[in-house]
Amino acid sequence: MSELFFLPSWPPAADALPWYALLLVVAAIAGELVLRWLHLPRLFGWVAAGIVMGPQITGLIDAEILAGMRGVLDVALGVVLFQLGQRVDLGWLRRNPWLLATSVLEAALSFGAMFLVLLAIDMRPLLAALAAAIGIATGPAVALSLTREMRAQGQVTERMLLLTSLNCVYAFIAVNMLLAWLHQEYSDEVLAIVAHPLYLIFGSLALALGFAGATLALLALLGRRIEAQFITVLALVVTAVYVATALKLSLVLVMLGYGVMARAFDTRRRFAAYSFGRLGQILLVLLFAITAATLDLDLLPAGALAGATLLAARYAGKAMGVLALAPASGLSLRKASLLSLTLMPMSGVALILVHDTTALFPGLGATLATIIVSAIVMLEVLGAAAAYFALVRAGEADETRGR
Amino acid sequence: MAHALEFRQSAPLTLGVELELQLVNTRDCDLTRAASDLLALTEKKPHAGEIKPEITESMIEVSTGIHSRHDALLAELQQIRATLVAAADRLNVRVAGGGAHPFQHWSDRRIFDRPRFQHVSQIYGYLAKQFTVFGQHIHVGCADGDDALYLLHAMSRYLPQLIALSASSPFYQGVDTAFESSRLNAVFAFPLAGRAPFALRWSEFLAYFERMSASGIVESMKDFYWDVRPKPEFGTIEVRVCDTPLTVERAAALAAYVQVLCRWLLVERPNRVCEENYLAYTYNRFQACRFGLEGEIVDPLTATRSSIAQDIALTLEAVAVHARELDCEAPLEHIARVAREGNDARWMREKFADGGSLADLVWQQSERFRGA
Repeated sequence: MSELFFLPSWPPAADALPWYALLLVVAAIAGELVLRWLHLPRLFGWVAAGIVMGPQITGLIDAEILAGMRGVLDVALGVVLFQLGQRVDLGWLRRNPWLLATSVLEAALSFGAMFLVLLAIDMRPLLAALAAAIGIATGPAVALSLTREMRAQGQVTERMLLLTSLNCVYAFIAVNMLLAWLHQEYSDEVLAIVAHPLYLIFGSLALALGFAGATLALLALLGRRIEAQFITVLALVVTAVYVATALKLSLVLVMLGYGVMARAFDTRRRFAAYSFGRLGQILLVLLFAITAATLDLDLLPAGALAGATLLAARYAGKAMGVLALAPASGLSLRKASLLSLTLMPMSGVALILVHDTTALFPGLGATLATIIVSAIVMLEVLGAAAAYFALVRAGEADETRGR
Repeated sequence: MAHALEFRQSAPLTLGVELELQLVNTRDCDLTRAASDLLALTEKKPHAGEIKPEITESMIEVSTGIHSRHDALLAELQQIRATLVAAADRLNVRVAGGGAHPFQHWSDRRIFDRPRFQHVSQIYGYLAKQFTVFGQHIHVGCADGDDALYLLHAMSRYLPQLIALSASSPFYQGVDTAFESSRLNAVFAFPLAGRAPFALRWSEFLAYFERMSASGIVESMKDFYWDVRPKPEFGTIEVRVCDTPLTVERAAALAAYVQVLCRWLLVERPNRVCEENYLAYTYNRFQACRFGLEGEIVDPLTATRSSIAQDIALTLEAVAVHARELDCEAPLEHIARVAREGNDARWMREKFADGGSLADLVWQQSERFRGA
């Protein structure tokens, strides 16, 4: 034993709490600086802090620590998806069917465009299709974070949130259909081909339904007690993330579905005022910083061309879809073009889909990751900036925010 | 200046109604930024009435044309409602009546009309934002300025009735205010709120206005936030005490009641109109805001007191002939029912006590506005 045994060891163990605290403090300060000096949303600061502290630049937070943060990252993403789900009103699609048409069209057009250009740069059809399917997804965390921070309200904001959540679902379903098809190429286990996607989709929806029902029942029992409501719902949401992972269901579908159903079945509006408040903000900071730290910048040289091509096609498809049906759905062309900008961000959900693919087909996953991660790296700042610009130009941001 | 305030003649007893309406989201039913998106939709097609922006993005004002009959006024209000509700549905926004939003926080309000708001805000500070309240204004046509001033002062005796009948703002900033109309408290805070000075000749009124404008206190009639004010450019008096009711049917019934009252006051001249009428004015008005139909109304000339509900019942008897003349029996039956069974404020308190949340209350208000 060393004579200095009473001194703590350095660096602290990988799973230790201080790393979260460090990441949070640096990210929070960076966020405030970005807001004060550049007058931009805090999330740019959070992303910058994550990249700088991550293994790629300073290595202050290394890959081992990041791996240990996986659980918290899942919870943070789960809470974001849940909140996004809460903001989705399926009744709106019924009252304004052109909106549903817009959503399907922009997803289909962007998928088609991405698929074709990836084929054109000589990518294998299957890989191109998978990358295009993942590219349908738009960034839930950016949408939610900007809406919260700028207290954005209005048609561009509401439609951004709605289309974003639908896009996450489309991407999930498209990727899993392609994976099932892949299964069939590589093996003849019919059960796995059919049963896996069905288990993922219906299992996830059933779990979401169960949690939504339990949440509403508990809220009814608790009455108008804000503190008790807050703790209960938080506990249920964290549990849902854990159960979804344990049952190998889809985190995206479970948490989005949970949020949507909890709102849809809340006929007495007990749940309407529920907010994750400051805790939601902390989870957002962690989500942005950790995700940014995980991004593998080394993939960029290899994937830059494919990534950029994918992004250009993706934006073109989404913009065409949104613009084509704008008048029919009650949106001016000006606002529709701003809306298409808000659909640029892509991150958390796309990364999860890459992760899922890699788990099933490691070789394929590596190539896929090169393209998608490159695209995400390029979008990390650009996408959020476009969305921010769009919300400000639409006049939906609160100009007094942060003062 | 006097020229600008020349009283334009208008057909006596014609009606026009303005309603300030709430725009709320479907998620938590808080006020939301939707006026300009909604206007962009309603402007595309020709529609009945006028739909205009107000000072904040979460408020919209609708106004009818000029009507001599209640049924035509009601029909137009219903058409405007249909236009609004259809557009709001496409945008996932809800339209609701009510004199104040039950839980909005005024510091969150987004402003539609910047220059005008900046000006108002500079003068009034937080009062300007607190002024996110929603009223019904009823215009009554007058043959000349003298008639308008007579009606204005003769009506003052009946304003507590109108306040109690229309009251629909019991909740404000998340709490039960104990008032039936908390909205009027926000209005009273302004320095030029209250009653018009006592003058029965238009020339006297002009002299008063010129003194006020020469001393720089006001620039135009718009600077007066009076409960009833003359609107010389329309040739009307404008009754401004009513909260926006939860339904357009009630808004039309209130307008019809005002029309019948005016005819009665003009034809029968039942009361002496004098400055003494105003002795109990603020007391009665407070009673109406605080206790609604159960409030007390004091007649300072006879020193008698009764409940506002009883006072309405007596007035309805007195004006019955005029209601028949104007074909207003149905809307006055509506008014009598409100006096007997309770106003919108009472309905709102009952719904909230029923177990839901304030968000749920706003949702139900918006359902009632649709006519569901």
